[in-house]
Amino acid sequence: MHGLPRRAPKPEEEEALAAKAKDLRALQSQLLSNHHSKVYTKEALDVSAKLLEKNPECYTAWNYRKLAVQHNLLAVQSDSDSDSGAIKAILDLELKVVVDALKQNYKSYGAWHHRKWVLSKGHCSLDYELKLLKKFQTADSRNFHAWNYRRFVAALLNRSEKEELDYTTEMIENNFSNYSAWHNRSVLLSSLLKKEAPGFFPKEKVLNEEYGIVQQAIFTDPDDQSGWFHYRWLLDQTVKMDAPLLASSWPAHGSNVILSRNRHLYDCSASLFDSFHSDSGTFPLVLYFNQAVKGVNSSTVAIESLFCTEDLDWKPLLQISSQFSQVWVTHIRFPEANSQYEEACAVEVSVGLSQGIVSSSGFDYSHLTRLAFKVCLSPVDTEPSKTQGRDKILWRDENFSLYQTGSEEPHKSLSIDDLIIHNVDKPTTSNWRAETIANEIAIFRELLSETSCKIGKLTLARLLTAYDVIQSQCANKMVNSEEVLELYADLLKLDPTHCQYYKDEHSLVFLQQLTSSKESLLKHCFSHKTLASSSIGNYTCLCLNKLSLTRMGSIEKLLWVQMLDLSHNELHSIEGLEAMQLLSCLNLSNNKLGSFTALAPLRMLKSLQVLDISYNEIGSDTIDKTRYLFSSPLCHTEEISWNKDENVNGCINLTNYWDAFLIFKSMSLTQLAILGNTIAGENFKSFLVKVVPTLEWLDGDKLH
Amino acid sequence: MEFPVATKTQHEQWTVENLVFRKYNLFEDLPHHAQTLMLELRRDEHIEYLMRGLRGLPASFSVLDANSRPWMCYWILHSLALLGELVDDELENNTIDFLSRCQDPNGGYGGGPGQMPHLATTYAAVNSLITLGGHKALSSINRRELYTFLRRMKQPSGGFRMHDAGEIDVRACYTAISVASVLNILDHELVDNVGSYILSCQTYEGGISGEPGSEAHGGYTFCGLATMILINEVNCLDLPRLIDWLVFRQGKECGFQGRTNKLVDGCYSFWQGGAFALLQRIPSVSEEQIVLPDVGHCTLDTSHTSTTSRISEVGNSSEGTSSQVDDTGGFRQEGLKVPFPVNYNDIGYDFINRSVEMKPLFHAIALQRYILLCTQAENGGLIDKPGKSRDFYHTCYCLSGLSICQHICSDADSPVLPRAVSGPYSNLLEPIHPLFNVVLDQYHEAREFFTTHRAPFNSEVLH
Repeated sequence: MHGLPRRAPKPEEEEALAAKAKDLRALQSQLLSNHHSKVYTKEALDVSAKLLEKNPECYTAWNYRKLAVQHNLLAVQSDSDSDSGAIKAILDLELKVVVDALKQNYKSYGAWHHRKWVLSKGHCSLDYELKLLKKFQTADSRNFHAWNYRRFVAALLNRSEKEELDYTTEMIENNFSNYSAWHNRSVLLSSLLKKEAPGFFPKEKVLNEEYGIVQQAIFTDPDDQSGWFHYRWLLDQTVKMDAPLLASSWPAHGSNVILSRNRHLYDCSASLFDSFHSDSGTFPLVLYFNQAVKGVNSSTVAIESLFCTEDLDWKPLLQISSQFSQVWVTHIRFPEANSQYEEACAVEVSVGLSQGIVSSSGFDYSHLTRLAFKVCLSPVDTEPSKTQGRDKILWRDENFSLYQTGSEEPHKSLSIDDLIIHNVDKPTTSNWRAETIANEIAIFRELLSETSCKIGKLTLARLLTAYDVIQSQCANKMVNSEEVLELYADLLKLDPTHCQYYKDEHSLVFLQQLTSSKESLLKHCFSHKTLASSSIGNYTCLCLNKLSLTRMGSIEKLLWVQMLDLSHNELHSIEGLEAMQLLSCLNLSNNKLGSFTALAPLRMLKSLQVLDISYNEIGSDTIDKTRYLFSSPLCHTEEISWNKDENVNGCINLTNYWDAFLIFKSMSLTQLAILGNTIAGENFKSFLVKVVPTLEWLDGDKLH
Repeated sequence: MEFPVATKTQHEQWTVENLVFRKYNLFEDLPHHAQTLMLELRRDEHIEYLMRGLRGLPASFSVLDANSRPWMCYWILHSLALLGELVDDELENNTIDFLSRCQDPNGGYGGGPGQMPHLATTYAAVNSLITLGGHKALSSINRRELYTFLRRMKQPSGGFRMHDAGEIDVRACYTAISVASVLNILDHELVDNVGSYILSCQTYEGGISGEPGSEAHGGYTFCGLATMILINEVNCLDLPRLIDWLVFRQGKECGFQGRTNKLVDGCYSFWQGGAFALLQRIPSVSEEQIVLPDVGHCTLDTSHTSTTSRISEVGNSSEGTSSQVDDTGGFRQEGLKVPFPVNYNDIGYDFINRSVEMKPLFHAIALQRYILLCTQAENGGLIDKPGKSRDFYHTCYCLSGLSICQHICSDADSPVLPRAVSGPYSNLLEPIHPLFNVVLDQYHEAREFFTTHRAPFNSEVLH
């Protein structure tokens, strides 16, 4: 829709224009008459050439010429005396017409397209095309028609991507702000690296050179955008692992899981990371990958155990699109209670047994991973008693005492390092990554010592985080977190308009730090006093309250958590929480959740029974404003099936509370606190009682 | 590699910044009443410029537009409609007659009488006729033939050609799908695979390019996003990346640039600003999955017929889809396919009736300032940036962008608050339908017309 006149005529020019227009109209009507009566003589062709020279937008004339070429080629070919020279003459004429037209308007879609059409007939010398392109690209280096045409010609010429890359180098040397050249560069480099083309292997060497080039651009002028955008792409190429890997699982490798059907279990031997209680008689097996994958199913993931022999149904939990998900879950039935398997039953899970697990960027999961763990049924297991009422769980401080790792800790307990899977990368690659990032860190520290620029600080923070992530694959240490946290705090002051972004990043780094060692994690683990007798499961609560968190992270290390206190934070989203399949008690009170759709991750938590969402901002918005800003938007394309005959429409006002209905309908909560939200009121409460029949406590009141 | 100290691009950027900031500084130093005056939308001058253009349109006109006269019609008529200005009967009749002469007997509109039909001019002609409104204008569109033209342009790859033997790109997809949707002739055959073509044009930056491999671009991003919404596949795009790209396009000049490190240009007020307006109304996760009677926000009485029919449709198909749903969690995993047999023609209508609860993700007041202070030509018409000349294209898209900004916080039928309007409240323009870029009232008239006057073949094609 571009490429049309940018200049309105000045009054004094109007007369001249009118004359020109008259001339043009004459040409145009001649052309249309020739077109409709299929006249393809030399004179007729001249008319269209003249018209196109003056007005390249006349696409009907371009098509007329295409028909004429076809017609004349046919005539030449049927003439046995003719040589290839005649064919070439016809096509060369077309190329000339295009060049003349482009001189008038180098953004003409029709002209560029006609040229492609002519060239695809063959017979033309292509070398001239590159010269021509050079001319056009010098005149306007950002003309995307020319760039598109360049890619077309390069393909026809079988020109190597290396040569095209050199061309972008040349363009960038002339003008390092030319983002079109940077763009083409990243497209070409990606392809060359993927192919491991000669001179582009190993990847490490190539990327190092690229860092050199982009640094020069950035250091020449830190205020120019183009270099920074390219730098971000480059950093991504450095940090990202091509092949998907398993990051963690529950049960973790080497764990000894104690399963129980009975809520009233008091088992002091239950350890922090591996006990689980369920009414349903199944326990979840969660696989947490380092990136989204598809193809997790019973043929790609094999499970060997004496009690689990059926094919398992795998479900995605953190979907980034319709097929890909970072987290997958299946449910395994408990071993028979009174069978010969009373002792621990070994389970071995092999991930990536056959090909089929593929990342969203198309890389195969090629790293066979074996997880072995044992499960045993709690010896005091009895049938659950459904009729019995449950006690209210209070989140008061006095109910919690710091988790003790004393003598009761079972001797075989897991360490925090066992919670994540340490993938042995090719040492050369990971060393290179670490070295490259370290080198970049040094360079940006230097830049920041001279000027204080926001994007420089942000880049340094990203580099330091990336460094820690790479290092954590060998040793679970976050050496740079303090500095990163300071940088984000700094940026918050420097650039308050983007405070939400900085706060989110701050939260993620803070949680990485918190979960990096058992000592720091245990400071946040508390035992719930009264729960010991009325156990709803593992009575250890992970308390991440009052930490100014704006989003949740490091969930791959928290899959074991069954009771979680996130109250008194600034959470506006709980994206990612769906991976915590063991959660049975969750406190989200006093946060900034604005809508029920922001609670959508809860729908995946089938064990959740106690939920506190009091004192949020629910009802002030109907949709989750944050969802697009995170990595997994719209992921939960889950459908709720409900029986239309169910008497919901009659007695419940679905129209007003459809968003709440979607969340609560799929959960079986026994306890819920909702007070202190915009939506909370008597109408809404009576709606909840109908939609959640399992509910026993609502806002602290006993219901039945 | 050796770099010069400052590039040509940077010099150009600095020049523009100087021009723009000179305006802003001048503005800041003025007393309040003078500021209000400066922020005023010079309606009379714009209307005069546009009217003069419209009258001159069928007769002698400037040179280069001989092939895009439906575009000229659309840019002028739409600009006038945004300003709330009516066209007199004679001009209206002349325009309808002229556009009818551009209509090809085998469907679609060409750039002028006798020219071959082209998708872009078809879009412009259809939008012009909708903007004019009335039985004569709307019934002059031969929908049956237009449909066959669209099918002829459809490529096996999913994309569309601009015209016979023409280029394939995202523009072609948008103009084809937009026209089909607004004329109530969009069906599965037209929609098939369009989504995967658009997806192949989303770049690593997050924006959408004109064709695969090319660079992300504001115009194409709007076209791609609007198309994906109209075919009910918007969730297949990587929306976080798209937003990420989009938010970086508004610069300190307050206006939008079209691509990374390009100069600000008034026309992107619509292409990029419009993309934000689209994002605001993308159905939330939940609404996608379960169609409930009127979620309580739309108060339009007329919506009942369509929503009821949609519910019964979903209800009828529930047996068919039950295999995809299970009780324990019920994930849908059939890839890009649509879960229910959606009536594509209702998407645009339902879209505009959805309430806006999300605040805009760009600075709408700043953009209005850019448009009002930097793109109003002295003698009427709007421009790209200070120093450029006026034209109808920029007039149309600067005004469309201005309307987007003013209405970005309000629902289709609720009043616009004075604080949402930069300058005097009389600056307020008519609201538009952001998927089609036609004035909302005119859209509703057309919707009513094309749903009650069914093209004879529709009953077969649509169901």
